[in-house]
Amino acid sequence: MAGAIANSNLPRRIIKETQRLLTEPAEGISASPAEDNLRYFSVMILGPAQSPYEGKISLLELFLPEEYPMAAPKVRFLTKIYHPNIDKLGRICLDILKDKWSPALQIRTVLLSIQALLSAPNPEDPLDENIAKHWKTDQGGAIATAREWTQLYATSN
Amino acid sequence: MIPSDEDGDEIGDDESDYGFDDQSADIFQPSSKCSQINFVILSEAEIRQRQEQSITSVATVLSVPRIDAVILLRHFKWSVSRVNEEWFADEQGVRRSVGLLERPTSQSTPMAIEPTCGICFELRSVDRMKAPAFCNHSFCDICWTGYMHTAITDGPGCLTLRCPDPPCGAAIGDDMIMSLVSEEDRNKYMRFLLRSYVEDNRKAKWCPAPGCEFAVEFVPGSGSYDIVCKCGHYFCWNCLEEAHRPVDCETVAKWILKNSAESENMNWILANSKPCPKCKRPIEKNLGCMHITCTPPCKFEFCWLCLGPWSEHGERTGGFYACNRYEAAKQEGVYDEAERRREMAKNSLERYTHYYERWATNESSKTKAISDLQQMQTVQIEKLSDKQCQPVSQLKFVTEAWIQIVECRRVLKWTYAYGYYLPEMEQAKAQFFEYLQGEAEAGLERLHLCAEKDLQIFLEGDSPNAAFNEFRTRLAGLTSVTKTYFENLVRALENGLSDVENSRSGKGASSKASGSSKGKSGKIRILGGGGGGGAGSRNGNGGSSRGGGGGDDHWSCDNCTFVNVNGATACSVCNRVRPTAAF
Ligand SMILES: [Zn+2]
Ligand SMILES: [Zn+2]
Ligand SMILES: [Zn+2]
Ligand SMILES: [Zn+2]
Ligand SMILES: [Zn+2]
Ligand SMILES: [Zn+2]
Ligand SMILES: [Zn+2]
Repeated sequence: MAGAIANSNLPRRIIKETQRLLTEPAEGISASPAEDNLRYFSVMILGPAQSPYEGKISLLELFLPEEYPMAAPKVRFLTKIYHPNIDKLGRICLDILKDKWSPALQIRTVLLSIQALLSAPNPEDPLDENIAKHWKTDQGGAIATAREWTQLYATSN
Repeated sequence: MIPSDEDGDEIGDDESDYGFDDQSADIFQPSSKCSQINFVILSEAEIRQRQEQSITSVATVLSVPRIDAVILLRHFKWSVSRVNEEWFADEQGVRRSVGLLERPTSQSTPMAIEPTCGICFELRSVDRMKAPAFCNHSFCDICWTGYMHTAITDGPGCLTLRCPDPPCGAAIGDDMIMSLVSEEDRNKYMRFLLRSYVEDNRKAKWCPAPGCEFAVEFVPGSGSYDIVCKCGHYFCWNCLEEAHRPVDCETVAKWILKNSAESENMNWILANSKPCPKCKRPIEKNLGCMHITCTPPCKFEFCWLCLGPWSEHGERTGGFYACNRYEAAKQEGVYDEAERRREMAKNSLERYTHYYERWATNESSKTKAISDLQQMQTVQIEKLSDKQCQPVSQLKFVTEAWIQIVECRRVLKWTYAYGYYLPEMEQAKAQFFEYLQGEAEAGLERLHLCAEKDLQIFLEGDSPNAAFNEFRTRLAGLTSVTKTYFENLVRALENGLSDVENSRSGKGASSKASGSSKGKSGKIRILGGGGGGGAGSRNGNGGSSRGGGGGDDHWSCDNCTFVNVNGATACSVCNRVRPTAAF
């Protein structure tokens, strides 16, 4: 794998980031590029402790557009998840993926931020109105639903 | 298209010979003249100049470098006073929020010989690594250029560019951007900077005319919202629609919304051709005024708006212009001529249709007049000067007439929106309004006809025409009197016709219409007082009592013939003091 990356036409930045993701992965996060497209990553995030997603793994896809790192990576949940900032299509409402993106951020920072979002849902800045409303009016119930969905859809360790 | 300051000077003599009293000119200032006090039109160069002045002022007062002054002004929307206020209240707070961090004194950590850029991860030589003025986060020149290019491509947000290192927030100065981006990006950036002066600034706006690059700076608190741009566009500062006195912005918005809701129903009515009411052949309207003459052999002269015979319009019959009247038109069944109209009469659109058609027709007349005015200024005046052996400077009265026509068409157009929203219950007001509007329309038709058709004779002949001086007197006189009338009309309507009391019956006034209005060529009488019943007074019943009377509770003005309520000691239209004899 490492050899294939080094020989490709990828910018040094992407090569370096990929190497580091593979050799020193962040805790609870794994990201590996596809064999045929080194800008496309399969991502797994382990639900953080004390969150309704605890102990189960969500699958995501991450794509580095041509303009990367001047433009943010595109990230999406593939696993169905009950979360006020993630919609049915798995799109994520996260400032650093939009206007707060900076080329000084990296894939690793993005994935860590998504992991943090699982620990701290923000119903004040919702992507899915219904889930956000549920979260605000009946947090206990919402968390229970999130837990149920996690058991139903997320994969085990 | 902007009325010149010295307008009227050279026709002054003619005017008094002609019998027009220009006293009212002292009382009513033309709107464009008053508004010249409340706004300034700025060209691109002038905007840059102002921007530069503000930057210099902030840099001097705050003793900061120019770059810092630009950053501060952008943040505080180009308000020098706000920058000063905020800065002297809490300099540290302001510095933090705009990203003017303390400049690093020296390189605290000496850089490696070949540092790695934090964005591209490439090893770069030290001289290619750049840090902003307010922090020492270095990235390589290629990454800076890419970062800035992305921001500039994204839009005006590039004007508040910060250091890419996320928590840092240091501002990036113009100098750094200018030194690193392509020429194309530099131009785009400068364009955004220029635009921000207008778009962020609450006292400035762009002229809304398509393609116009002038901006306007407005001084709030003064009377009118009317703006005249140097490109010739008249617009409302508040709502950016075309200037719309005497209607307010709210009514304009309501009316425009209504029009777009009804647009499908209205398309047919805007057609440029109508059947001649006599021979039924389709006639196209190609002149700006409403007086249409059917092609030979029919030659029937009719009014485009009401399709009634022209002979019943205006002074000739001693009656007054009444095709602006919704009720009159309906009662007389003149809508019968078109099958379509009969259908329309059955539903609620009928009333709207009446006002809309007149509104839209005046709009297209206005558009036509604007192009005629341009034609006049570019070609016809030269030609006229040739034919009549008159210096161009002596022909200003022609362009002035056309400027007035454009202005009046616009006002008249909006009076139809005014009329549509006039509460139907307030009958006296509505009648009075329609009366004033009818007179305005008649006066304007006379002026328009004179400037459009009568002028042709003098453009066509081979030798100077002896009647030219007479024509000059007539056109200049019509211009002047129409101008005064419309100014008064706008004022009266803006005051919500407050002079009219609901108790007032129209009867006292209709008499004015007939007897004396046959006077000398084209003098517009300003008549007031309900003008009861279009049909009746059009037949010219009722004798003249000009000068004195008007019934027990009214007196009519000697100067302008307006019928005032008895309590008024001065004419509410022209302000002439009520003569003692009338008490
Ligand atoms: Zn920085
Ligand atoms: Zn770099
Ligand atoms: Zn303009
Ligand atoms: Zn307005
Ligand atoms: Zn005909
Ligand atoms: Zn008519
Ligand atoms: Zn008067």
